Amino acid sequence: MRGKDVRLDQVSIRFGDSTAVQPTDLAIHAGEFFSILGPSGCGKTTLLRTISGFIEPTEGRVLIGGEDMAGKGPNERPTALIFQNLALFPLMSVAENVAFGLEARGMRKAERLKRAEELLELVALNGYGDKRPADLSGGQRQRVAIARALAVEPAVLLLDEPLSALDLKLRQHMRSELRAIQKRVGITFIYITHDQGEALAMSDRVAVMSRGRLEQVADADTLYAEPATPFVATFVGEQNVLRGTVTSLADSLAALDTPIGRIEGRVKGPIRLGEEALLMVRPERIVLGPGGVNTVAARLAARNLEGPSVHLHCAAAGQTLTVTVPNGPAVRELPEELTLSFGVDDALVYPMGALAHG
Amino acid sequence: MGSLSRAYGRPLASLIAGIAVAWILVLILVPLGAMVEQSLWWREAKGDISLTIDRLYNDISLIELDRSSETDPAKQAAFDQSLTEKQAEIATLEAQEKDPPKTYGLANFTRMSGLHFYIFVRTIFYALLVTALALVVCYPVAYVVALASGPRKAIILMVALIVPYAINELLRVYAWLMILDYRGVINGVLQWMGFINLDAREWIPFLENPSAVFLAMIYTYVLFMVFPMVNTLETLDRNQIEAARDLGASTFRIHRRVIIPHAKPGIAVGCIMTFMLSAGSYSVPAIMTRGQGGDWFSQLVYRQFYESNNWNMGSAYAVSLLVVCTAFILLMMRLFGVGLRDIAK
Repeated sequence: MRGKDVRLDQVSIRFGDSTAVQPTDLAIHAGEFFSILGPSGCGKTTLLRTISGFIEPTEGRVLIGGEDMAGKGPNERPTALIFQNLALFPLMSVAENVAFGLEARGMRKAERLKRAEELLELVALNGYGDKRPADLSGGQRQRVAIARALAVEPAVLLLDEPLSALDLKLRQHMRSELRAIQKRVGITFIYITHDQGEALAMSDRVAVMSRGRLEQVADADTLYAEPATPFVATFVGEQNVLRGTVTSLADSLAALDTPIGRIEGRVKGPIRLGEEALLMVRPERIVLGPGGVNTVAARLAARNLEGPSVHLHCAAAGQTLTVTVPNGPAVRELPEELTLSFGVDDALVYPMGALAHG
Repeated sequence: MGSLSRAYGRPLASLIAGIAVAWILVLILVPLGAMVEQSLWWREAKGDISLTIDRLYNDISLIELDRSSETDPAKQAAFDQSLTEKQAEIATLEAQEKDPPKTYGLANFTRMSGLHFYIFVRTIFYALLVTALALVVCYPVAYVVALASGPRKAIILMVALIVPYAINELLRVYAWLMILDYRGVINGVLQWMGFINLDAREWIPFLENPSAVFLAMIYTYVLFMVFPMVNTLETLDRNQIEAARDLGASTFRIHRRVIIPHAKPGIAVGCIMTFMLSAGSYSVPAIMTRGQGGDWFSQLVYRQFYESNNWNMGSAYAVSLLVVCTAFILLMMRLFGVGLRDIAK
């Protein structure tokens, strides 16, 4: 199996008056594990269904392996889709499920069942061929769905939140499993999810989507450390968000007049002197005690133990700042009055815009 | 019963149990039992019994005449004795004539004439044919209704299906009669187009053909086929259809491998209902054939009851039909691999 690249060329999708996907350009490399991350209703599933051929784009072109897919149905594209609810055929055995795509291609029974057994081995389900999907556990059904999709030797595998129905432990296990399978078969995976943990853990690159628009396409580290928009900054990971007025602006640095005082940070978007802007600091980038350029006096309001780390909720000038520190003996005996500080690099300044949570 | 009374208390539990028993009794056991019992006996109505009685009365008159001219007391006594014997014989025979004795046995079933048996077999065959045709006609309809996108479209389709059923069945059958009659709508249109001349009796005799009955029957029973299928098809996860298409299956294969297996219980129920209704339908063949297209078995049952006045024979005919229909249900269930549980759903 060889992966193919997927390109969206000014693709937009409208249903009647409502626009599901704004004009979008996207290049997904061959053999890449690519995730599209976004809240429900952001258009990510629509985008996936467009790539798989269930929806024709209103405008623009979908190219897979350089070939224009216009007018090609889902059965004519080199893609296979794994549905959110898996959509296994409940009345067929596991082996028949896996072999269904081969059956549709007219492969002889003995041959296709042999192939199905090989694929079940690939997903560590050898010997389960005679069972019905209903007899399997959630994780096993998941793997059957993967084997069934891989049977047709797709160049691109599309996954529509397939892990969302599983419990937490199994979900975490299936993440690494999926990643391993992708490495083994080497084809392009396009993975849709609203769970940032899944997207960040598995993907080579992630696209964050909101309201039918791609906000940022980057690898997981970049996405977390250098979010391009306020939405990405607040959707991926935690943020302390402050509003302030820009008081000085030089190169990529700006100073903001915020309720907690003058804060310096790096500029991440077009802002102007004297206008309002958003300041974001990750909870784990704030340290206790002085040290950074930005120093804030705060009062400890609450402490939430998360296990390896502790969230400290601090009040400063009517604002709440969350600070995440590693758990340890020192955290248990914190004074009520704290000095918080963070560096210029840790504070990001964005123009006003939509946030992920209100 | 124990768990019932725990859940609802003793009075309510006995009420529920009582209603269940009454239901089974009134709706199933009593009518069915009466029919089966009726079919298992007959009265030996010997035609010569009245003749024998008449002859005995003649004999008595003769003996009385002889006795009145006889003077020997010994011979008179002999005449008297034979008179009382004859009168006793008349009394028993007359009692038999009035209320012939019941004989139990299977004769009502075995006595069916060859012609009636042929009609019986043909009716079953026709009913099967109607069922098969209705299935072919209704499957696409049910599919479209069940998978219609949008609730509004589904409602419109459903109403369009139900509206004809607001009209009395007899009216609908007569409507088809008007359409297919010698001087009916179709022949009228053909005449207007110049293909035939009705005054020269050049009409196409649709009604002399059993297919006229098929047509009216399918029209009459369509809903009983469509509804169960719609019910099961509606529960089909559409993702399965999309998954099958995504895996490269043709439309035909998707139906054969995914949709029809899922709809099986609905198809079985639809077939059972349509078969039972058409095998037992009286009005449709009676109206549509007008005696020209051959009788259906249900008409024979009717005649046994109301024209031959032989309720025992009529019951036997009805029970035979019931047995075959039950066998059909069991066969369908076996064939489609569905249990009572699936059908109840």
